[in-house]
Amino acid sequence: MLEVRDLTKRYGGTVALNGFTLSIAPGEIVGLIGHNGAGKSTFAEIVTGLTRPDSGTARFDGADLTRASGAVRARIGYAPQHLGLYPTATVRANLQLFGRLYGLHRRRLTGAIDRVAHDLGLTASLDRRVEVLSGGVQRRTQAATALLHEPDLLLLDEPTAGADPATRDALLAVVRDRAEAGAAVCYTTHYLPELDQLEATIAVAARGTVIARGDRDTLLSGLTGHATLRYPDGSATTIDGADPVRGLVSALLDGPSPSDVALHQPTIDDLYRHLTGGERVH
Amino acid sequence: MSTDRFHALSPARTWSIIRMNASLFAGEPGPLIGRILMPLVLLTITRPLYTAALGRTGGTASAVAGMLVTFSLLGMSIVGSSILQERLWHTAPRLRASAAGPADILVGKAVPVFVLLIVQQAVILGYGRLVFGLSVGSPGLLAGTVVVWSATLTALGGLLGTLARSGGALSAMVDIGSMTVTGLGGAFVPLALLPGWAHTLAPASPGYWAVHALRGSLDGAAAATASGCLVLALIAGLAGTAAGHRLRRSSVRTGAA
Repeated sequence: MLEVRDLTKRYGGTVALNGFTLSIAPGEIVGLIGHNGAGKSTFAEIVTGLTRPDSGTARFDGADLTRASGAVRARIGYAPQHLGLYPTATVRANLQLFGRLYGLHRRRLTGAIDRVAHDLGLTASLDRRVEVLSGGVQRRTQAATALLHEPDLLLLDEPTAGADPATRDALLAVVRDRAEAGAAVCYTTHYLPELDQLEATIAVAARGTVIARGDRDTLLSGLTGHATLRYPDGSATTIDGADPVRGLVSALLDGPSPSDVALHQPTIDDLYRHLTGGERVH
Repeated sequence: MSTDRFHALSPARTWSIIRMNASLFAGEPGPLIGRILMPLVLLTITRPLYTAALGRTGGTASAVAGMLVTFSLLGMSIVGSSILQERLWHTAPRLRASAAGPADILVGKAVPVFVLLIVQQAVILGYGRLVFGLSVGSPGLLAGTVVVWSATLTALGGLLGTLARSGGALSAMVDIGSMTVTGLGGAFVPLALLPGWAHTLAPASPGYWAVHALRGSLDGAAAATASGCLVLALIAGLAGTAAGHRLRRSSVRTGAA
């Protein structure tokens, strides 16, 4: 169980975290969303021991993550936003290094590399240098280094940024499997439909704190959707607000006849805009 | 709660980092080969000048010691690159976020470059001995000097690697720094032939103490070797501490909020 409470962190005059609180249960996937600067990466850096908070606590199964031992670290898998691989080394050499750092050796290491390479479609690339591979394969390799040791806590910071659809599908499948095996997963993304695919619960971060937390349906239940009307001249109107049905009826009765009417269910993006007063996740 | 991560050295994790760094060097051998072959060529060309000025024995010792110090100083670029690349490749935070502790990472990074520096110096000394009959007064003192000087270069190179923001900046730092240290230290041109002001400034140069210790060990003079090595060890300690401090500071902030 990951339990983070009231984390604060300042960098000079910039407040990165301001009372950031989040807990993730075993087997749960939390989709952590928020615009750049919301505090997502700082949260991940504190949980992985890269940064110390100014105040607050971060615990995993009771262990203080700001002072954690190697044994505790070995239970965490982390794939940061930036690619962090040795480009002149092969995929296999990168996996071997991180596997060994997480305590895998000999047959366990070989078996883990074969397994994760198969799951993420890396088998054919294992003996190629990272620098000659496509961005998608590099992304998968980075994720593989975090998944190799089957961590109990998995932190993936925008793992699919710039990834192709095949990479995205492969990653999402492995993340789901990891959660089904009991891992607590924190998945940071700007691609909100991924959270539906993962059946993740949602945590919305803004200005260094979590402003909403819950399952998707509960969070969206208070929101209305919106309608888009397209007209023969190519123009379009979006109708949203507190009562979009009334607005739609009014537009249909009083305005010109549209060539197309599309009704949209509320989305996580709508939720984010609602909570932050109009900011978009991207 | 245990805090072993911050103190204990894990042989298995350290060895895995050493292996990766050794394989990275093996994959890009050009700079290493250059740093090892260039001094042999220059030694062969310039030794007659030294022997003409200082006699056969003294000239050979000065030529070998000079080339060793000059090119081992240039070898700092290899040390610095090894540190700098970890930052540019974003692998430094990956290592720190893993189960490896700072001690594992520092030793894992330092050992391969330390060994390379020793190999470089051993090749130069071996070449001088076999080809030019370099006289070695005390092999034990010489080995000790090489070890201490390599540790100094590892620490200084590591510090430069933490200070540089790019490969170009590191290259400039190493080129300017090593040539200044070499020149002032009397490594390239014997100190006796340098102007008076250079004599005054020479003790401020690590190169001076390296030449001092090397000449002492080649002459079998324990006191001169010890004094040189002592100063070099002090410089290594200061540079290593500063490099460690810079590494900790740079790793504190690694990404966007």
